[in-house]
Amino acid sequence: MNAGAASESSADALPDYLPARMLNEFVYCPRLFYYEWVEGVFAQNRETVEGGLRHAKLDAKHDDLPTSDELQASGEAIHSRSITLSSDAYGLIAKMDLVEAEGGLVTPVDYKRGTPRVADGKLVAWDTDRTQLAVQALVLRDNGYQCDEGVIYYVTTKQRARVAIDETLVSQTLDALRQARETAESGRIPPPLVDSPKCPRCSLVGICLPDETQACSTLDSSEQLSQRTLFDIDLPHRAVAYARVDSDSEVRRLLPARDDLRPLYLNTQGLRVGKSGNVLKVQEKDKTIQEVRIGEICQLSLFGNIQLSTQALQALCENEVPIAYFSMGGWFYGTTSGLGVKNIYLRREQFRLADVPGFCLRLARALVAGKIRNQRTMLQRNHVEPPDSALKMMKCMQEEAEWTDSIDSLLGIEGNAARIYFQHFAGMIKVDGEDGSPTTNGPSPFNFDFVNRNRNRRPPRDPVNALLSLAYSVLAKDLTIVCHSVGFDPFLGFYHQPRFGRAALALDLLEPFRPLIADSAVLSAINTRMITTRDFVQVGPSVSLKPEGRKSFFRAYEQRMDTLVTHPIFGYRVNYRRMLEIQARLLARVLTGELGTYPVFTTR
Amino acid sequence: MRNTFLVCYDIRDDKRLRRVYKTMRDFGDHLQYSIFECQFTPIDLAKCRHTLAELIKHNEDQVLFVDLGPTAGRGERVITALGQPYTSMDAPCYVV
Repeated sequence: MNAGAASESSADALPDYLPARMLNEFVYCPRLFYYEWVEGVFAQNRETVEGGLRHAKLDAKHDDLPTSDELQASGEAIHSRSITLSSDAYGLIAKMDLVEAEGGLVTPVDYKRGTPRVADGKLVAWDTDRTQLAVQALVLRDNGYQCDEGVIYYVTTKQRARVAIDETLVSQTLDALRQARETAESGRIPPPLVDSPKCPRCSLVGICLPDETQACSTLDSSEQLSQRTLFDIDLPHRAVAYARVDSDSEVRRLLPARDDLRPLYLNTQGLRVGKSGNVLKVQEKDKTIQEVRIGEICQLSLFGNIQLSTQALQALCENEVPIAYFSMGGWFYGTTSGLGVKNIYLRREQFRLADVPGFCLRLARALVAGKIRNQRTMLQRNHVEPPDSALKMMKCMQEEAEWTDSIDSLLGIEGNAARIYFQHFAGMIKVDGEDGSPTTNGPSPFNFDFVNRNRNRRPPRDPVNALLSLAYSVLAKDLTIVCHSVGFDPFLGFYHQPRFGRAALALDLLEPFRPLIADSAVLSAINTRMITTRDFVQVGPSVSLKPEGRKSFFRAYEQRMDTLVTHPIFGYRVNYRRMLEIQARLLARVLTGELGTYPVFTTR
Repeated sequence: MRNTFLVCYDIRDDKRLRRVYKTMRDFGDHLQYSIFECQFTPIDLAKCRHTLAELIKHNEDQVLFVDLGPTAGRGERVITALGQPYTSMDAPCYVV
């Protein structure tokens, strides 16, 4: 359902005109320019929103600018707002907030939020703003006007900074224009700025990950297992998975630890969801039972028969809130999202590399080894008395997984490790089946003994397996959404082979997180008695959760997602919800060739 | 990061009052007459201030924004109640 609007621009056929604003971005940061112009990525922060709101007011008035001959003839002062002109000679287009004209002389005025720089007691416009004005002047000149000066009006301080359009500025600007075009046509993204004070103010910082990218690439060059590990050298890259950046090159946490947006789960059959203003109204039989502002949710999950009005659906798409559909029993059908990411380059690399067996194998090895390591950590942390033999065997399997030479044997290793792990899973459950309280309907037929001590599914035949199945299903949903938002095609994976309706890439990324998020959520739901055996029903051989139990489980799961964890490489703490996105973006970096290794997420 | 804000307004015209009330419903929870509790990111705050600025009559009405500090990580709530209870939502997700 994702229309996936293809980018109009490709490296060899970029649009003819470069907007003045884009040259401003290029001077600020070439990487930012590449993201916005070539990949069509845009994100909002306070600065861009405030700027946008101010400009909305300016743009509402739309004037015409008389030709230069008319200006000279009339000789009176003219103010024209919101003028768009282009120049064929330079291939530039500029939208000018205000053009002041007197006699034959025109002066573009650009409104900027913020404050000017003060140098030698004089107001000076920032370089980026000077460039933008120079472009406007060039475009005006090319349209026959005489323009010697421009003005930046800084709204915050209400100050005007004058900029003379002289030879130096013009040649600098044309130089920047040439470089910007070369950058766009090269199809290679410029490296991030190094420790720049610009980054914390940049709206794309959460997508660009400047410090994280630097940290990973210094890992690449400092470790001998470097840049080419995933591509050429046949070496395991486990050193990278555990390596930590030296304390002297600390990674700034430029993206917020939590976004404070909450998922919305609708699980009650027969609900209807409408919209009023920017508020979702959840109704049951014409009675509103919950109101949720669209701006405060990050996703909507619907289980079973729930009606969503078109108005609500449109508003959710517009606000880029993905909607996930599940059957009543928790089977994940799919998602609806807005137009999605325009970046086609990432998907192209994904499809190309999925056909390179060596690459798939190396990535798969890292993922499986990471998963086994995380399973082992879970046992160490949560088992009443961690079984030595199992821990040793899992350690061996982890190493074996790092060296194995085929996907098939990797599958075998993964299965063996999972078998050992689940054999001891019951040891991590710290309540007995009777859950210590009297029941009204006699003793419950279930216990959390983890029957047969193994995984079973389709259908799950005991409560623990039912919980695990639901947890994996919900986690697969989260990673599918993450894949979409980063610009991947979730259905083409590197380890999991494509199969009908299976989000293979989401499952690839999910492997190392299975024990840490899903299993852990299941264990804490059971151990803290958020869920008891009375929350289950048995139909034939299959065991499933009652609606109330399912609601409790969502709370346990989201609590786990909200937990802060330390990133093994960057050293900062973010919640799991954000961690999934960071990991997906890092994988994207590997595919586009910026990073040589994918640092699989493991905890200590 | 979100900050909790109390947004209080005094609007001298019924028509504008209703509009302000309706607008504020998009931004926060209606706490009492003319008082909303909002959890604003810097973006939300900018949008809310802009929307209200377009709506009110600047020489008659008044809107106050009271910043109660960061929403997350506050050990105890900064709002306490007498009479009718005050509850705030701090679960990690909405489940219906």
